Amino acid sequence: MGSALTLLAGLDPAGLPQQLVNGVLLGGIYALLALGYTMVYGVLRLINFAHGEVFMLGAYTSLFVSWALGFSPEAMKSGSHQSNPMNLVIMILVSMTVCALVGVVIELFAYRPMRGSSRIASLITAIGVSLLLQYGGQLFLPTSPPPSISDKVNPYSGSWEIPLKSADASLVAALAKARTEAKESQAEIDRQHINRFDTNLPPAQAALITTVETSERQVHDLEAKINNSSVKINLRYGQLIMLGSTIVLMLLLRHLVLKTPIGRAMRAVSHDFDSASLMGVNVNQIVTLTFMIGSALAGAGAMMYATLGDSPALNTFYGSLPGVKAFVAAVLGGIGNIPGAVLGGLLMGVAENLVVWAGYSQYKDAVAFVILIAVLLLKPGGIMGSSKVEKV
Amino acid sequence: MIRNSFLIAGLAAIGVGSMGLLSGCNPGTPEAPKPTDTKTEKPTATTAGARPEATDTGVKAEGDTIKIGLVAAKNGDDRPWGIDSEKGAMIAQDEINAAGGINGKKVQILVGDSASTPEGGKSAAEKLVSDGVVAILGEVASGTTALIEEVAFAKGIPVVTIGSTRTDLAAKGNNFFRVCYNDDFQGSTMAKFAFEGLKLHKVAIMTDNKLPYSQGLSKTFREAFTKLGGEIVDEQFYEKGQAQFSGQVENMKGKNPEGIFLSGYFTEVGAISKAIRGAGMKDAKLFGGDGWDSPSLITGGGEAIVDGHFCNHYNNADPRPEVQGFITKWKDKNNGAAPGTTMGALAYDAANMTFAAMKRCKDLTAKNIIAELENTENFPGVTGKITLKGQGGNPKKDATVVRVTKDGFTFAKTFPAE
Amino acid sequence: MFYLKRFGWVILAILLCVGFESVVTSGKNFDYVYRMCVLAGLYVTLAVSLNLINGITGQFSIGHAAFYQVGAYITGFFAATGYKGFASNSLVQQLSHIGVNATWTVQGLWLVMMVLAGAAGAAVAGFVVGLPSLRLKGDYLAIVTLGFGEIIRIVCQNQPALGGAYGMKIEPRINSMWFVWLLAILCIAVCRNLLKTAHGLPFLAVREDEVASSAMGVDVTKVKVTAFVIGAAFAGAAGALLGHFEGFVSPPMFKMEVSFMVLTMVVLGGTGSITGSTVGALLLFGIPEWLRQIEDSHHNPILVSAGSVLGFAIMLVAAVAYVRHLIHHFHGEKKAKTQRIVGTFAAALVAQFFLGMLLNLVPALRDKSWPYADLRWAIFAVTLIVLMLLRPQGMFAHHEFSVARFFKRPKEAAA
Repeated sequence: MGSALTLLAGLDPAGLPQQLVNGVLLGGIYALLALGYTMVYGVLRLINFAHGEVFMLGAYTSLFVSWALGFSPEAMKSGSHQSNPMNLVIMILVSMTVCALVGVVIELFAYRPMRGSSRIASLITAIGVSLLLQYGGQLFLPTSPPPSISDKVNPYSGSWEIPLKSADASLVAALAKARTEAKESQAEIDRQHINRFDTNLPPAQAALITTVETSERQVHDLEAKINNSSVKINLRYGQLIMLGSTIVLMLLLRHLVLKTPIGRAMRAVSHDFDSASLMGVNVNQIVTLTFMIGSALAGAGAMMYATLGDSPALNTFYGSLPGVKAFVAAVLGGIGNIPGAVLGGLLMGVAENLVVWAGYSQYKDAVAFVILIAVLLLKPGGIMGSSKVEKV
Repeated sequence: MIRNSFLIAGLAAIGVGSMGLLSGCNPGTPEAPKPTDTKTEKPTATTAGARPEATDTGVKAEGDTIKIGLVAAKNGDDRPWGIDSEKGAMIAQDEINAAGGINGKKVQILVGDSASTPEGGKSAAEKLVSDGVVAILGEVASGTTALIEEVAFAKGIPVVTIGSTRTDLAAKGNNFFRVCYNDDFQGSTMAKFAFEGLKLHKVAIMTDNKLPYSQGLSKTFREAFTKLGGEIVDEQFYEKGQAQFSGQVENMKGKNPEGIFLSGYFTEVGAISKAIRGAGMKDAKLFGGDGWDSPSLITGGGEAIVDGHFCNHYNNADPRPEVQGFITKWKDKNNGAAPGTTMGALAYDAANMTFAAMKRCKDLTAKNIIAELENTENFPGVTGKITLKGQGGNPKKDATVVRVTKDGFTFAKTFPAE
Repeated sequence: MFYLKRFGWVILAILLCVGFESVVTSGKNFDYVYRMCVLAGLYVTLAVSLNLINGITGQFSIGHAAFYQVGAYITGFFAATGYKGFASNSLVQQLSHIGVNATWTVQGLWLVMMVLAGAAGAAVAGFVVGLPSLRLKGDYLAIVTLGFGEIIRIVCQNQPALGGAYGMKIEPRINSMWFVWLLAILCIAVCRNLLKTAHGLPFLAVREDEVASSAMGVDVTKVKVTAFVIGAAFAGAAGALLGHFEGFVSPPMFKMEVSFMVLTMVVLGGTGSITGSTVGALLLFGIPEWLRQIEDSHHNPILVSAGSVLGFAIMLVAAVAYVRHLIHHFHGEKKAKTQRIVGTFAAALVAQFFLGMLLNLVPALRDKSWPYADLRWAIFAVTLIVLMLLRPQGMFAHHEFSVARFFKRPKEAAA
């Protein structure tokens, strides 16, 4: 509540560039997921409600691969673990492959038989598949306690700071000094196995603790001063990799859809399902391919989300919230429209972070929906879509 | 033909009128919600004996087995906590049956699935009651427990909750007990620890707005911490299941807190701590409540969570025989895996405490069990010594603050029960 | 005469509901059954009212839980602020002497008021959601209704006055089974009468073709908004009853999954069919609760091994595939077709038993097992998929259930 009360005074202009960057990073993942929704919708006019669950399976696949690569909780206890970039590549490839397979299987068993029926019936089947993966998955996948992918898997743990307005150099030097001091005295405490909260310590140890406390406070004060005097963007390497891979994947998809015969067939099916089949396009093949690509993108997104981002621990409902968000993003951009999905995803990500920036983090999701409704009222077919009367 | 709208209106009017209540169109019918200041129930602190008495409907143990109900989430997103509580309770059941049961009678714990929804929990409780249970254990989520309590109160059956920390739950009736702390105690303990132990003065809070647990804990922490003289510089919110917390973290960073109180579950705390360190807040102390307790916290948080502190019931490394005995039994049953969450130990305690109360009963009626649960004194649980006598259902129990290290949790400080 | 007949029907409905309640409450330990009956009644109301929006008017709403929540929270708010004042009001005190039991009369009066308030509040919400439907079609409208549901949930979750994420207590708790079913019957009656009279035709016209119907002079705007308002009002009334029955409301009771569940009930029953929605609601509400009952006579859970689950899954896929083949490609007599379908399932049932035993010889599959309760929702999901695969048009398709159809076997029913 406190943050909500300080309406405008709480706005921190220095934080804005960082928030925008955060928004783009989050939006990238939404966009990857939204692409899956929008591509499937494009060819089949089906809202694939199980897409979020494919995402969840991708995250679990990454978890298992990371365990196989030697980052399981048991293995982590013994010795140091040096990761290398290959691990990330293996994880993302396996995750994409598994997700692609899952997507194809779901299409084959649940959606293809429904193709002749009404759209809403396919939608209910999709809800059924989604429930099955969530509740059935709970039986087979490790959920208790909800596991996390070790952050050691990511070899690039540092971050890259882009100063927009640099802080006073003397302050920075003072901070570095204070930090070393604090670290040294903390190390000393650890070495002597002193419990900081013990009230009956001998004076020498108590003095040591006081030293730590003063140096910590000094560090904090200096940090505060630096923080207030500078504007910078802080990019974790993990996030940068995420953004880079997202862009690469999107460019690949663009090439595939616009420049290859398969892409042409896909566009034809999306334009008119029946005519395309009359013109000699193997519709079934194209639909399978679409599911494959969409799900593989979800798999890539899941791996990056779960490994490189700030991911919560995994459970079988892991994909439902990102799934809904991505669906909203796809609709926002105009469902069925590939650039629209990317735009919608980015907009959602940025909008969410701006809401947080304004101090309304508790209304983050609600505001995302308000924006969506507002946009749809102005442009009923989404930002890049076209609207026409259709029946349910 | 008669106009149809008349027909519909007539039907509706007659439907209402037939109750003999046509005068229900009272001018006092409130039309729009007035912005009156409605205080939700004030947490009634430990006022023993003042709690309303549950109606005695004469429920008692019949047959050769004593049936006890356990409501747990076996489906849905609370399943990790639900199956742990089931496992814990089942260990207690097997143990007491191996030791000859209660006064020669075998004990059977019936499990009802709440499917992580409040109504599901209530349905499960009703089903258990119709199966003839004399006591109900559970649930973990406060919202679900509130509904279970309704059922049990009407039937005069005791409820021993496993993990519902919501303070005002205990005020409903004298049949309600818990083995965990309530939010009041935990929040003020962590406030004291932060202010006196960690010597923090400016603290930010991060609350999981989807969890009543987190909302309650943040609220009591805020009150206690301000009372001690500290300052809450910021509060940010997120929802369970969301990812990417950099937005909230960036806001907190602007306020320069010395410490951050993370009142949510470990599932998100790990990620949030990574975001905090990643954003460059290297020195802010992280601390939280018992929702942190899981080995998964360290895998999720990595380096970032090391040196965090949280309030816990017990510590797996605690040499007390109750703790070590429980851990050995748990590992035997679960292929050597240690308990994943605290709910296992809490459920084990809840079950054993109920068994102990039953053993003291001459006649196994629900009413006697309630009375004997109320008489619990110094019950040696895994999660600490529990005293319920005169506490209004809230256990008197020490709180342990533990520190997160790279390899596990180590003891930091004990706060005795007030 | 007409009114007399109507009045007769109403009295009959009330007697039926009261009779139903007294049958349920006559047994010993009836609370669980009673609860199931109340919740089933509420779900019937929800499904039938959503059917008005989705099935009859052809709008795509997937946020019905929002209206349910609005109704429940409105009563919660009033109960917290106004019930005490209401009960001690002098007029109410005087009225309370009319009935058999003073408390009952006061609570009954209150409940009627709350149902009306909940319905009114939800109707306003329905109006607000209905407005965008003028511009938005299909999936775009769906996402707006979904979003509206989320907005309501998040707002409630953030209001300390509404109890936050924990929820709020509602005093008094009122057991109102006959009233719940009366509401369900009223809802069914309203929808049925709408379809039976000329007033319903515009709704159907909008569903079939919006452009054509507006060309024929149908006020599309009015029809759509009316559907939303009526549908929402019934959901709100159901929410009010739920609030007072549970004595507690909290945000997780109205999450997105509830909306999906209600939508599924409608589609499974057959979009547009009132009887279909009713049966769909009873079925889908019943399945998980029925699965709760699977235990041995001593209430011990039954364990299912992974081998049995796998065997069941394989045979189910095979049986469903074959039955689908039969449905589409078998051209013999209808009786023979039915026999074959039933035979296939029976054979699969037997086969899965043996296959399960066979698979259980593999130690890895034998040792992993779950109690039935853990499989509840997975079984539910499988049932849903199988029903949709075998009968995508829903159990009753667009038709209403009628006894006559069983005997007359009209030719078009086969289509």
